[in-house]
Amino acid sequence: MGHLASGGGRSPGASLSVPVGGRAKALPWWRTPSVRRYLFGYTLLAPAVLYVGVLVGAPFLFSLYLALSDASVGAPVARFVGLENFTSALETGVFWTAVRNTLVFTVGAAVMKGFLGTTLAFLLVQPFKGRRVVRGLVVIPFTIPIAISVLGWKWMFDSQFSVLNWALSGLGLIGEYGTPDWPVWLGQPMLALASVMFVNVWRSFPFSAIVLLAGMTSVSPEIIDAAKVDGATFMQRFRKIIVPMIAPILFVGAAFDTVFTLSDLSIVYLLTNGGPDGATEILPTLAYNTGIRGGALGRGAAISLFLFPLLLPAMVLLLRTLRRRQY
Amino acid sequence: MAVVAQRAPWSRRAKEIRRHTLIYVGLTPYLVIAVFPILWMLITALKQEPDLYRMDVVPFWFHLPPTLKNFEFLFQRTFYGDWLVNTLSISLFVSAITLLTAVPAGYALARLRLPFAENLGIAIFMTYLVPAIILFIPLSRVVSELGLQDTWWSLVVVYPTFTIPFCTWLLMGFFKTVPFEIEEAAMIDGCGQFGALLRVVLPVSWPGVITSVIFSFTLSMQDFLYSLAFVSISEQKPVPLGVATELIRGDVYFWGSLMAGALLVGVPVAIVYNLFLDKFITGITGAAIK
Amino acid sequence: MSDSRLVQADRPTVTRRSFLKVAGTGAAGGALLAMLDARQAPAQLKGTSLRVILWSHFVPAYDAWIDDFARKWGEQNGATVRIDHIPHLELPARYAAEFAAGAGHDLIYFAGQILTGQYYRHLLDLSDLANDLGTRYGPWMPSAKSAAQVAGVWYAVPDYFISIPVLWRKDLFESVGRPAPKTWDDLRVAARLLRPKGHPTGMQFSHCNDANHNWRALLYCFGAKETDPSGQSIELDSKETREALRFAKALYDEGMTPEVFSWDDASDNRYLASGVASWIHDAISAFRTTEDTNPKVFKETYVLPEAAGPGGTWNVGEPNVWAIWKFSKNVPAAKEFIMAVANSQKEAMGASRGYNMPFLRRRYDKPMPGLGQDAKLGTLQEQDKITAFFGHPGPMTPAAQEVLTTFIVPDMFTRVARGASIDETMKWGVGEIRRIYAKHKAA
Repeated sequence: MGHLASGGGRSPGASLSVPVGGRAKALPWWRTPSVRRYLFGYTLLAPAVLYVGVLVGAPFLFSLYLALSDASVGAPVARFVGLENFTSALETGVFWTAVRNTLVFTVGAAVMKGFLGTTLAFLLVQPFKGRRVVRGLVVIPFTIPIAISVLGWKWMFDSQFSVLNWALSGLGLIGEYGTPDWPVWLGQPMLALASVMFVNVWRSFPFSAIVLLAGMTSVSPEIIDAAKVDGATFMQRFRKIIVPMIAPILFVGAAFDTVFTLSDLSIVYLLTNGGPDGATEILPTLAYNTGIRGGALGRGAAISLFLFPLLLPAMVLLLRTLRRRQY
Repeated sequence: MAVVAQRAPWSRRAKEIRRHTLIYVGLTPYLVIAVFPILWMLITALKQEPDLYRMDVVPFWFHLPPTLKNFEFLFQRTFYGDWLVNTLSISLFVSAITLLTAVPAGYALARLRLPFAENLGIAIFMTYLVPAIILFIPLSRVVSELGLQDTWWSLVVVYPTFTIPFCTWLLMGFFKTVPFEIEEAAMIDGCGQFGALLRVVLPVSWPGVITSVIFSFTLSMQDFLYSLAFVSISEQKPVPLGVATELIRGDVYFWGSLMAGALLVGVPVAIVYNLFLDKFITGITGAAIK
Repeated sequence: MSDSRLVQADRPTVTRRSFLKVAGTGAAGGALLAMLDARQAPAQLKGTSLRVILWSHFVPAYDAWIDDFARKWGEQNGATVRIDHIPHLELPARYAAEFAAGAGHDLIYFAGQILTGQYYRHLLDLSDLANDLGTRYGPWMPSAKSAAQVAGVWYAVPDYFISIPVLWRKDLFESVGRPAPKTWDDLRVAARLLRPKGHPTGMQFSHCNDANHNWRALLYCFGAKETDPSGQSIELDSKETREALRFAKALYDEGMTPEVFSWDDASDNRYLASGVASWIHDAISAFRTTEDTNPKVFKETYVLPEAAGPGGTWNVGEPNVWAIWKFSKNVPAAKEFIMAVANSQKEAMGASRGYNMPFLRRRYDKPMPGLGQDAKLGTLQEQDKITAFFGHPGPMTPAAQEVLTTFIVPDMFTRVARGASIDETMKWGVGEIRRIYAKHKAA
């Protein structure tokens, strides 16, 4: 079971003693192949762990310290206040709005990306003329720097000059400018949240599709053909074979994407900055406006770290489960 | 199958056409969603400014003739040329650092049965949960101690913090697909494990390496906050920061140049990405099937 | 017309990464323009470099002017001066980074977001500069002290502030038989009459900088106060605040469209320039943008320094002040530069096309550059008498700054406009503000 868990197989050189001339020669413990393997392995790991540990780990501890103190931008070394910043956040009305919006945003966007990504992947896995061109085009939303594409969307959602509204109005789907039927994408509460979610989905769903495509093409055709011969329908093939095989990659991709989405400030900041009246306020923007622009570092840190205790166990559970189920 | 061979060829053609049509129809909504904004950005980049603020004009076509002025503006009146070079340089160095650290780490986690390997893998992943809006403050100190404040090198130091974890996971997946046999063969030939990594495993997993490079590029271009905090000098800015801070002046958005700036950097990366997409797809399956 | 389209002056001849190279060309370069005061350049400036950070001015011509001014000043003094411009809303993040790093610009600038109270322990005491300016051009406006002093000591030197008047369309007002507006009620009536004709008004009900200032202007004009003059006790919970909220709701219902909930700082400028708006409450930059992009509309656009309300006439401005980190590497040059700019404020004001308003009383001697000769802007020459800043009548403390950056006031108005009860909104808004002030007091 050990090999399955590490998903590899045997590591070369696993024997403990080296037969020399018929007699096993015992090695000192630090020269045994296992320990040598560990040493080798940890040496290989060291650069990455050190780099990330020093540049992220230490600052993380610093941010924990901030969250437990009443630090401000001009006085980062301050009094320890325990969990006061967290309780204070819980007492703020807009904080709960931000938590709700963050969860809706993340989960909603993940579902949309999953759906759109999966269906697009299905289309792209088919051989057809021009597939390469389509794949290339569909990837561009992801390669344009997010700050600039979001600014483009800002103009596309503009209350006066929106090209979306122009198109929809031209097609007769909505009213003219000045009528109540003219959507103000970033102004109406539910619509504003949906709009920022849409930009996030727009950017990332091609990426989800590509990742899924990878998983799907990895399923060897023989298994599928065998299933076809056995009389399995498309849905059965899908559920019993394809889904289990792409599930790991789907979940890890989704996990990364979720984590990126949760900490992403840019889309909301550039489009609405949390407005109107908190309709699009998410934890990162609230933390930024309170902690950095408002100067209350301690409280800002507490807000931004709030979901961490929830996410950490969730991620650990997810990744552990995945590793167990690899086959 | 003999039955099929006797079917008239045109009905097979018809089936193909029908299949293609279905696929194209199915793809249309996706293409519209993904590409419509890009198309609009392209047209905006080529438009003359007064055209943009008129509500009676078709946004998808040109009322006043199209112009390359916005592109000229980018290169002559702003430091866009510098920003492009900076972004390219930053991405190259970040890719190098990422590969130097993520390749060994990915290999170690994929191949060697190390105690705590699983937990380390998870811990590396967890670093993404640490918020950048707080991270940039202590990192600012680090950058300053290294004497890199206000240079693009500061970003070379900082960006690997978010490329390394992802690329480690990615490369782990690629390395798992390499058959043991060739590694063992190399070691029997007297390579040693490290030699095997360099001479055998790495060359075979070059799709993974390329993919890591591409992700280093795209992830580096997503950042805004770090570059804002660490670089205030125009010539040292990377493209996203430069475009977002210098092509917007309060109430004046230089939309044409903004869009031109976005496309000039996004489209080439998409093209390169596409060129390697097939390799990426065949390679990324490592995590799924092994 | 083209200069307002400039992103920046022609690319300076500073080569890439040579910003640290010391020019040291001495005063030989170029004739001294009259604008440079004939102060003796201290010898210690020669061969040094000065790094300044400023915001990206909303009137690009001003940035072109000050960059050029800095270059010439540098040449005169044998120093290399470099000015970096970043958007004003991002300055706090940059300063947090510089402070943490213990290194950064030699001369910094607080634009709209007054961080004097946050960083004063790490800023130089600039009382000598401020007192000198106050003697020569003063006295200082009382509110100048609130932006720059902590406990009576000057930790910053005020530069100028930006006022946010009313810009209105004379032709549209006349078309419905309304005379030039003088009060908020006039504005409301005009909007009510003009909206059916396709010319509503608009004020941002969103999370943007203008929303913070516009609604505070309304509050103060109705006699509402954020705190008492000492800034210690919250006085927002009052009848006047309720009246202001009620008025805002009526104004929205009668004269605006739902677009305003999605607006940012530039949307009202575009509204005016596109010819739709009957009036807006915005800074002169909108006036200038309209001048440059829509001359027809510009001809009919006039300026009212501020509308009067039942509680008086209060215009809310955005203050800009200089400051110097204690860790600045070139304090003498920084101080000299502050004085040089302050001494040249007349030219600066002209370069800003009427946008910059001084803090020093004697600078209001008429005619003021940029305003005095302009028939429409002449009334702005009295702006200092009716200008207040956020936190009014209390000082601009870190607590007031946090209330600003968390958009509590715009949110209160947004809720009321959307139909929430005034009592509920008051309870929430005042409660939040109290909490924030309490947190800062405890610190």
